[in-house]
Amino acid sequence: MTALVKLTDVSKTYRLGDVRVRALGGIDLTIDKGDFIALAGPSGSGKTTLLNLIGCIDKPDSGRIVIDSVDVTAVPLHRLASLRRDTLGFIFQTFNLIPVLTAYENVEYPLLLSGVPRRERSERVHRWLAQVGLADQEKQRPDQLSGGQRQRVAIARAMVVNPKLVLADEPTANLDSDTAGHILDLLAELNTKTGVTFVFSTHDASVIERAERVVRLRDGHITNIEVTRERVA
Amino acid sequence: MLIKIAFRNILRNRRRSAITLLVIVFGAVGLILFGGYKAHTFYSLRESTIRTRLGHLQIFAKGYSTSESQKPMAYALDDVASLRRQVERDPRVKMTAAEVTLMGLVSNGEKSETFIGTAVEPEKDRVMKSQRMLSGSELSNNEPDSAILGAGLAKSMHVKAGDYVTLMTTTVTGSLNAMDVRVAGIFTIGVKEFDDRAIKMPIAGAQMLLQTKKVEKLLVFLNNTDDTAAVRESLSRSLHGVEFKDWSELATFYHQVVALYNGIFGFLGLIVFAIVIFSVANTIMMSVFERTREIGTLMAIGTTRARLWRMFLAEGFSIGLIGCVLGLASGVALAILINHGNVMLPPPPGYTRGYPLEIMLSASVLVPAAVIAIVTATLSSIAPAFRASRLKIVDALGHI
Repeated sequence: MTALVKLTDVSKTYRLGDVRVRALGGIDLTIDKGDFIALAGPSGSGKTTLLNLIGCIDKPDSGRIVIDSVDVTAVPLHRLASLRRDTLGFIFQTFNLIPVLTAYENVEYPLLLSGVPRRERSERVHRWLAQVGLADQEKQRPDQLSGGQRQRVAIARAMVVNPKLVLADEPTANLDSDTAGHILDLLAELNTKTGVTFVFSTHDASVIERAERVVRLRDGHITNIEVTRERVA
Repeated sequence: MLIKIAFRNILRNRRRSAITLLVIVFGAVGLILFGGYKAHTFYSLRESTIRTRLGHLQIFAKGYSTSESQKPMAYALDDVASLRRQVERDPRVKMTAAEVTLMGLVSNGEKSETFIGTAVEPEKDRVMKSQRMLSGSELSNNEPDSAILGAGLAKSMHVKAGDYVTLMTTTVTGSLNAMDVRVAGIFTIGVKEFDDRAIKMPIAGAQMLLQTKKVEKLLVFLNNTDDTAAVRESLSRSLHGVEFKDWSELATFYHQVVALYNGIFGFLGLIVFAIVIFSVANTIMMSVFERTREIGTLMAIGTTRARLWRMFLAEGFSIGLIGCVLGLASGVALAILINHGNVMLPPPPGYTRGYPLEIMLSASVLVPAAVIAIVTATLSSIAPAFRASRLKIVDALGHI
């Protein structure tokens, strides 16, 4: 196995008014290429904070984070925009699509940031919209799509840049159980087909059981890492 | 894509964008109307000052400018006919007119008043249309011992067209001389202070009164005011023993009006500028607040600070562009309406006649209005763009 992400003794504290709250303390974690990992734990356990640190949208107070052989710990966040753009993909609980853009344009947007030529953009966007089952909805704006469809657009947006790692924060929390199941099927299928690493946070047991590895968190510490099923070759 | 996103975001909150656009449109319309009025006023005042009084250039005998106050006619032009021939050879010159100014007393036998006289060539004076005749007739070459009086002076002297008055002044040698002249007519130029003291007479009559054959100056009128500097340059190379003054050096009143209007309109412009800045900045700032989570998402998926800056500047620019187009259309339409409405303005201070309200629609009026609308709106988005680009991604994503 090759390590894609390596966290060493990572800690993070937040200030809430005059009180300092320790969100993460002394986290050591290695995520391999192709992993399909769930970060599990109750609210306030540090799942989202850990996801934010791996996603380079927040900085640890101490410790070291290496992503794809790049030590991101000392680099200011605004200088990591290209890493977030080209290496990472994000899927949010509330979908976070750009409301004024159509499904097609939402998926196209990261490619514009990367300077991908128009013809290639078109080919990739159409391919990924078809992959997530929204080939006929490309002209719809987010408010014209169902929750499940919006999350599919968000998945296509995350995948279209050919990322090495996709981070999903409670990706099924705002969906009904059937739709959530379909979304998880899709994520697992993409993991298998493309070899892209998936890390998602959840406290939903039905989601946890789909993961290959489950990292359990409590009060900012990893309490247990369990392998729930073997990776499909 | 930036402009596309910008336009769609403008349409997102239509009511707020409409109010902002209305402010920009009002600003642009104000700039067009005020600017057009100012441009027309400057143009009219400049051309009337030149065509009815000063000429584009005035030619004097050398030394005149340093000694005119002591001895007006000591530095006069000897051979004005030859000078005129040389000047009129230039195709840019429309005509020349000789002139003498004199001061003295005018008497009707019972009462005397001081006068400021201008001796002119009658046929040229008629072309210049310097004055409006209230009664009687214009000056004539056939009657050198005649004069026309300003309305205020005529009233003060109790004279009417056809009466006789006596003019007294010092000759070029310093002795006193008097001459009876027939009052050919009564005129006004619209400035009360001038009408109260003004007399005009044929240059031949003035030369008799002053006992000289010379003229004080030769006024040069051009076809196009823009040629003034070039013609002056050209004439100063070919003519010797003379000196020049152009209309701008002589038009003190014109420059005072320009300075006053520029001050007033500059202040109004600043107010419009400030209103537009605050209005557009407020709209975009509200938009930043509402879109905080969206901005967090954009940054999370790799949008750089520079691109966020461009995104919000594009939004300001787009609002400015739409406002500019609507503002120009409304401003031009309103200006045409006003120009066809024959609206009369009251007389300016010191004048006795009102004048029509005219809005000049030229590139020098429309382009600054358009540029100010767009630039102001774009500048307004700097503060919101700065705020957006400095947001912490985690905080922005957690924003409700």
